[in-house]
Amino acid sequence: MLFVLSPLLRSKMGLRKLYVFGNEFLKDDSFALRVAEGLSGVDVVHCRRPDELMDEEGELLILDVIKGTDNIRIIKDIDEIKTRNLVSMHDFDLGFFLSLMKELGSPKKIKIIGIPEKGEEKEICKKVEQIINNI
Amino acid sequence: MPKEITLNHITKIEGHASLTLGIEKGKVTRCELGAVEGSRYFEGLVRGRHYYEAHEMTSRICGICSTAHVIAAINAIEDALKYKPTEQTRKLRILVSLGERIRSHATHLYFLALPDYVGYESALAMAKKYKPQLKNALSLMKVGNKIISTLGSRDLHFVSATVGGWLKLPSQEKIDELSKELESVREDAVKTCELFSSLKYPDFKSEGEYFSLVKKKEYAVIDGDFSSEKHKFKKKDYKKFLREYHEPYSTANFVVKNDHRYMVGTLPRINNNHKLLSKNARMLLRLSRIKIPSLNPYHHNIAQAIELVHCIDEAIKICKSLKIRDEPVQKPKVRAGTGIGVVEAPRGTLWHEYTLNDKGVITNANIITPTAQNLLNIQEDIRNFVPSIIKKRKKDIIMDIEKLIRSYDPCFSCSAHFLEVKWV
Repeated sequence: MLFVLSPLLRSKMGLRKLYVFGNEFLKDDSFALRVAEGLSGVDVVHCRRPDELMDEEGELLILDVIKGTDNIRIIKDIDEIKTRNLVSMHDFDLGFFLSLMKELGSPKKIKIIGIPEKGEEKEICKKVEQIINNI
Repeated sequence: MPKEITLNHITKIEGHASLTLGIEKGKVTRCELGAVEGSRYFEGLVRGRHYYEAHEMTSRICGICSTAHVIAAINAIEDALKYKPTEQTRKLRILVSLGERIRSHATHLYFLALPDYVGYESALAMAKKYKPQLKNALSLMKVGNKIISTLGSRDLHFVSATVGGWLKLPSQEKIDELSKELESVREDAVKTCELFSSLKYPDFKSEGEYFSLVKKKEYAVIDGDFSSEKHKFKKKDYKKFLREYHEPYSTANFVVKNDHRYMVGTLPRINNNHKLLSKNARMLLRLSRIKIPSLNPYHHNIAQAIELVHCIDEAIKICKSLKIRDEPVQKPKVRAGTGIGVVEAPRGTLWHEYTLNDKGVITNANIITPTAQNLLNIQEDIRNFVPSIIKKRKKDIIMDIEKLIRSYDPCFSCSAHFLEVKWV
């Protein structure tokens, strides 16, 4: 049985926030959500919109799926993310939002743990946990 | 002086559009603005489905205006079933529509329109110089999103609204929270208004008639009569005065009112309803460059900024008046009939019509989006405006045309269906 801690309790416990993105209805896109379920010692926040990141003043830690990689990658420079110019409201995605936040200078640091679209969940979960502990 | 202009890729609008312009001796000989999106077939998709599925399906027409499609579809179905929603349901529908409008206006103004006026290619490029302004934009967008997710139980394609009521009511505590958050961004909206009122807009008058929904005692959002300064129509009569037709260069239909072009959107709403704006919005309108009625489509941007303030004031008013009580969803008696739903979407008046058989199955549907109604007006505005700027350099002409198109805040993906100009 899973016991879910309230956000207040988690923050009182001083757990680090990990913002996780993914659409639960899409198998590949939801992989980060499934991996996050197995993480311990971290306050997992399922982000549905990029603007949920706006209130984070400290270092922002994000878990998301990266297309075209077989390994876990840590992205420390937002410029590594492919960003389209905003040509329509439909382009207002996470990549654009993070690039904008970088330009606006808030938060000061953003780190993205990028995992592949598929793989052995437990193994990836263990590696992500190690990475979080070492960051 | 260019002889032809071909815009194959108009940016910073919703969807894809192309413009073909031919110019001879300073006169426009050919002007064709068309949507180049694939056809959407939503009206066909809902045929054979049950009445309670229309809003969920048509919500997918657009991720930006999904709320407007949901409310228009529900209104139309309830009209067909002769069902009148409760006052609480009506208030929640207005509030969620205002949330969508706040998000949409803030995004369009700061991320699509402003870069043109301050000389940047994109919002990202101007971010370092316009930090406070873009932070305002993000705060406003966030509140708009919060209203939708709080009331709709989802951020996009919200699911709480249904025929006969509200599936999952927000708690009173959440409504009170929303009210406080809206108060916290009112100043951001006022600053938006001041910023857009200070920009320099081209001088141009559109010959189209300015239509929007109107109501006697409130700034119309989800119902009303379709009205301009000179004409007023009941929604039930819309087919008598609105006519859709097709042009071979566009996948979106064109729409005319009694065979004349017209404009819908925020500027018509302000022109027709300015007396019903909130006190703050009325004051900002007086301080702006808009003299009512404004026939300059470029003023659409200022109008959106003024409406942003109104939407926030109005949303706070609704939140404060709401005392959420449990209201089970009503199941209207199924009957054969035709119903019309007409709402003010962020980009203008949106029409949904459905015919149901006695089993409640949809046998016919018709949807007219704001951009389809504006398409002819934009095209003819371009035709009339270009001669006044014909001596400019080609790239400046293109910029002025693009600004004109963007001022309408069109959504080509919804209308069928970005700008391609072909100078011929």
